[in-house]
Amino acid sequence: MTAAAIDLTNVEKTYRGRIRALRGVSMRVEKGEVFGLLGPNGAGKSTLVKILTTVVRPTRISGTLLGAPVGDKAALARVGYLPENPRFPEYLTGGQVLDLFAAMAKVGRADRKRRAAETLDLVGMTSWASTRIGRYSKGMRQRIGLAQALMNDPEIVFLDEPTDGVDPVGRREIREMLIRMRDEGRTVLLNSHLLSEAETVCGRVAIMVKGQVVRLGTLDDLTRHSRRYEIEASGALPAGDGWRTLIQQLNAEVRAVGEDRDRSLIVAPTDEAAAVQPLLDALRASRATIRSVRPVRASLEELFIESVQSMGEEGAGVGGQKGRAKHGGKGGAL
Amino acid sequence: MTQTWALFVESYRHLNAKKLFWIALVISGLIVAAFAMVGIDEEGLSILVWRLPIPVSTAILSADVFYKLMFLNLGVTFWLAWGATILALVSTAGVMPEFLAGGAVDVTLAKPISRLRLFLTKYAAAMLFVGLQVGVFSTASFLVIGLRGGSWEPSVFLSVPIVVVFFSYLYSVCTLLGVVTRSTVAALLLTMLVWLGLFAVNSTEAILLMVRTQAEQSVQWLEGDIASREQALAAAEDEEPKEGILNTLKSGMNSNKKEAELATRKTQLEDARKELRTISIWQNSFVGVKTALPKTSETIGLLERWMVDMADLPAFNDGGDDGSTRVRYDGGDRELPIPQDNEAVERAVIEKSRARSVGWIVGTSLIFEAFVVGLAAWIFCRRDF
Repeated sequence: MTAAAIDLTNVEKTYRGRIRALRGVSMRVEKGEVFGLLGPNGAGKSTLVKILTTVVRPTRISGTLLGAPVGDKAALARVGYLPENPRFPEYLTGGQVLDLFAAMAKVGRADRKRRAAETLDLVGMTSWASTRIGRYSKGMRQRIGLAQALMNDPEIVFLDEPTDGVDPVGRREIREMLIRMRDEGRTVLLNSHLLSEAETVCGRVAIMVKGQVVRLGTLDDLTRHSRRYEIEASGALPAGDGWRTLIQQLNAEVRAVGEDRDRSLIVAPTDEAAAVQPLLDALRASRATIRSVRPVRASLEELFIESVQSMGEEGAGVGGQKGRAKHGGKGGAL
Repeated sequence: MTQTWALFVESYRHLNAKKLFWIALVISGLIVAAFAMVGIDEEGLSILVWRLPIPVSTAILSADVFYKLMFLNLGVTFWLAWGATILALVSTAGVMPEFLAGGAVDVTLAKPISRLRLFLTKYAAAMLFVGLQVGVFSTASFLVIGLRGGSWEPSVFLSVPIVVVFFSYLYSVCTLLGVVTRSTVAALLLTMLVWLGLFAVNSTEAILLMVRTQAEQSVQWLEGDIASREQALAAAEDEEPKEGILNTLKSGMNSNKKEAELATRKTQLEDARKELRTISIWQNSFVGVKTALPKTSETIGLLERWMVDMADLPAFNDGGDDGSTRVRYDGGDRELPIPQDNEAVERAVIEKSRARSVGWIVGTSLIFEAFVVGLAAWIFCRRDF
């Protein structure tokens, strides 16, 4: 078994002796995977990332980062980090910011120049390299932040809300960069509110609520229980015991849909196409019009909200997540 | 080393971006230019080609001492230790609060550098402001003293470490306050307040030292005076009494008067000793307090100690023609004067000040600084950001 990029057991953090930000978080992130860390505000996602990057001191921790104990300086030299709302000295140019933080990561002078050119090109900021940060837009600062996180050619990159403040085109570019990082074999831990981002690029996700990991796995694993086929039909549905038996065998559900409630939606909780063929045969036999047949699974957004609600999480934080998720969500149908 | 150098370069860029840094540098240039414009010769002082009606000439002060004193008193004491220091504090008070702001400190803390080293490097890098300012000022002053005063004084460059050390006392307080409050304004204002407090303690102790020295001299003079009076009285008693009632009467009256004066002197001595004891207690207490605090004025004063010899200092001339002031003893009906030699007192105060060891002045101040910086570093290292 190869060493994991991150292997944590029972991480706890209590602020000022009373606010329990993390309550025994355990997780393992394999090398080369893009891992999504999701959760409402105050779930402890940023705290976890900050503990891994030594910005916050854990109350209790057991585990490794890149095979070394968390906090090991040599391991940190192989880490890239973009915090949420990064602030860089406004009197420095973009190029100087990259040089400064690469030097802080112990990158040699010659490598710094080469890497700066590469990362600036990667984030589309080459022409702004000599402009002071004070004149950058929020999206440009985010891009420079992303570039500085990559300056030391890191094995693992922690990205806390990397697309915050970035326009839609920029977001797509960042998503493409994440995929490129994954293809290059880097491990990426993505902490994002935008569930569509995580859904698109993350191999596995962990959903955190109230300082605990409540769901962890691949999207397929997490949504397996919600997979179903939805058959929409109009006209007369089959009648008789045969149809009822079919419906019962598949544990399916029939709903009236449409403005005039003149169509039917048959929901069969199975992910096997063969299993729904008898239903289609019966519909054809009854001369009903089959309008659509769709394999469906729960979206990450649905999964997320379900997780939050199952933990009794309600209020502003969750509301905020819902609002954001609606904008960034992709919908259920695949 | 790469990291340390990067932090210093970043600090330099920070300074370079600050208008105050350049304003302070321009003022430094103007002050040195003003030094260069002032001339001194056997006829007196001049500015460029104009003579000044000030009775100071090379007969009183040699040209090199004149320029050195100008450099020390105007350049260092007033400009570097006050004006430039205020500008430096205003410029650097924000270094820690800005560094500790959310989103700013995170990236740096995630780098492979220990928090303590990071903190101490940031702290040391902030000294660049003063170091560069004093470096430029000293170089320019070195040239002026050399070209105009005819003496090339490398000791001028001692002002660089001395002023940097002086500034570091204040900056340590500013750093601690910056780490605790994370507010530039709070850190700056509270540091100014601390500085004012230090100035008050230092000034009070200096005044008490002056008063103590005066009291010591009074006691010393009274002891001498009493001894001589006693000798005179003893001699008079040993003399053969002159014949005649008038002579006997005169002699008796003289003797009574002298004995009365001696008694007055003894009372004065007792009072003076009591006063000296009280002042000494106060002065020693202030010295004790000062020991635990940074000695700002005395640290700057080291420069004069090292650059100007006592013998080169101009004669003090605050008193009468003989350089002394006669102070009447405020002792009710015992109005016998106790002479006070102000020049001697001032010289004695300077000698006492100069006798204080560098270890006590700088060493204890640095211990204070180390404690304050250590506390700030401890808070920084333990804090979650």
